Amino acid sequence: MRRLFKQRTLWLAVFVLALAFLFVGANLDFDYVIPKRLARLAAIVIGGVCVAVSSIVFQTIAGNRILTPAVMGYEAVYLLLQSLLILAMGMHSVVLLGQNGNFVVSIALMLAYSWAIHYWLFRDGKNNVYFLLLLGFVLTMVIGTFTQFIQLRISPGEFAILQGFSQASFNKAQPAQLLTSALLVGAACVAVLKTLPALDVLALGREQAISLGIDYRRMVQLQLALIAVLVAVSTSLLGPTAFTGIFVANTSYALARTARHRVTLPLGCAIAITIFLAAQLLVEHVFNYRTTVGILVNLVCGAYFLALMVRTRGTV
Amino acid sequence: MIQARLLFLFLILCCASLLVGARHIAWTQLFALSDALSADAWLTLTASRLPRLAALVLTGVGLSVCGVILQHIVRNKFVEPATSGGLDAAKLGILVSLTVAPAAGTAGKMAFALAFCFAASLLYVALIRRIRFKNTILVPVIGLVYGGVLSAVAEFYAYRNNILQSMQGWLLGDFSRIVQGNYEIIYLILPIVALTYLYAQRFTVLAMGEGMATSLGLNYAGTVALGLMLVAVTVAATVITVGAIPFVGLAIPNLVALRYGDNLGRTLPIVALCGASLLLACDIAGRLLIYPFEVPIGLTAGGVGGLLFLMLIIRGRR
Repeated sequence: MRRLFKQRTLWLAVFVLALAFLFVGANLDFDYVIPKRLARLAAIVIGGVCVAVSSIVFQTIAGNRILTPAVMGYEAVYLLLQSLLILAMGMHSVVLLGQNGNFVVSIALMLAYSWAIHYWLFRDGKNNVYFLLLLGFVLTMVIGTFTQFIQLRISPGEFAILQGFSQASFNKAQPAQLLTSALLVGAACVAVLKTLPALDVLALGREQAISLGIDYRRMVQLQLALIAVLVAVSTSLLGPTAFTGIFVANTSYALARTARHRVTLPLGCAIAITIFLAAQLLVEHVFNYRTTVGILVNLVCGAYFLALMVRTRGTV
Repeated sequence: MIQARLLFLFLILCCASLLVGARHIAWTQLFALSDALSADAWLTLTASRLPRLAALVLTGVGLSVCGVILQHIVRNKFVEPATSGGLDAAKLGILVSLTVAPAAGTAGKMAFALAFCFAASLLYVALIRRIRFKNTILVPVIGLVYGGVLSAVAEFYAYRNNILQSMQGWLLGDFSRIVQGNYEIIYLILPIVALTYLYAQRFTVLAMGEGMATSLGLNYAGTVALGLMLVAVTVAATVITVGAIPFVGLAIPNLVALRYGDNLGRTLPIVALCGASLLLACDIAGRLLIYPFEVPIGLTAGGVGGLLFLMLIIRGRR
């Protein structure tokens, strides 16, 4: 009962924040201001869902509460792929493949990365969480240097296109891109919904899941594919989100007090949307665009993560 | 014997570093009969190549020695300025000095970077001491997150003051702007290295833990503070002159320790020599990769160092 109450309050908060975001200072200008804000709101909702679902599902597969796709280098790989595409084909990559072609290629390659990571790191389930975390951090940094190196090689005009990808911001989403993203995320969410009970079983660990009759390998591969899609969408919409996923997932577990995905996933989405909305409102009305959502969210979530690790003293 | 070989490699790299560059100079030119030709070559050599060589060698030595000191203080093999927040704190310090006291020049920047780096390192060591269950891997992970938070603060601050773009400029290590007249602060590393060598035995004892070190008659807190101060000076000087170069201080001491053990008095010269050689090699590669342009050393050294680090942690697991 209390849980239901909390969930309702949270969704209410989302609703109120969304209304505030749409109407504060807009003077009910339905021709320009509000449609623009609606597009931004859509980007926030899509991005929030992506971050929350991908993080929680990834943590279920990885069997811990610290690792998220962002930390394991997924976003860095996406940015590297974008720069490689632009280097290989020039500006034509956008024209030749179209927004969607580019997206499909990126997702296919990210899938390969995700399976490789899973094959090497999670296969035996014996690896220490912090070892994986350190590996993820260093991988992210190394991939980042390669991305920068490629950016050195491309011309300034192409660089300008690329730079748009690498900063978290809700202001750049285009309606066409929003539509594609919404469709993709919707499809991914339907797939996740259909496998909700299986996810609960996956959380018990590999052996238990297999003995309970789950086709473990296929199920994990399916979920990793969904994660790859979600991360690609969120990175292309918002740019890198770093520690947001950890914050969202852990807050959602704490509020839900249950490990059932039926509860944690929607709760996580609500939390992620709340955070992004609050950050966007702060940026627009308090800081007056003198900071960005990405910087703000990173600051708060990074500090939370640090506190989490120091407080638990390495026993997570 | 091996040290002689290392020294030989180092000298060859030095010569190569002097000869490679956008402007071609040959040894014969330096002693050419024509005055104009030889003066031109000498100018290139003394105003750009020699300062660059000095900066490279000093940075390499300084960063790897820094890594060694931090590793002995924290008693963890995976700690260095980039994985303990020191680098990010120094960046934040420079930012603050740029906005608070823009007229103070290099000395002001140095003071701020030094203060911030020292404070951040102290806080980090205090944080680590709070964690009783010392997981070898957890220590650098906390350092990386801590550095991430510090650099988010720096970004927040830089964005508010409209200097995000120029910050990204010196965020990345780059030796190409080193010319006579704007790099001399890097010579601060020389006394630091000398001091470290002088205190090498104490740092070795420090690594045995607080109880052991105190019972052997060492002033524990004092030595830790001294070590952190040495690190802060080195990091501040290198970030101001060349920018951030991650992972050098981590890869080199570990590789050397794998081979020669942990007696600092004996291994410190080898660490210094290897650090300088690695930076020289990375710099030469960076200058040749897209000749006549340059790849900043932050990328080449960061990539090579990062890969070495990955190898080390994966090897450590096996």
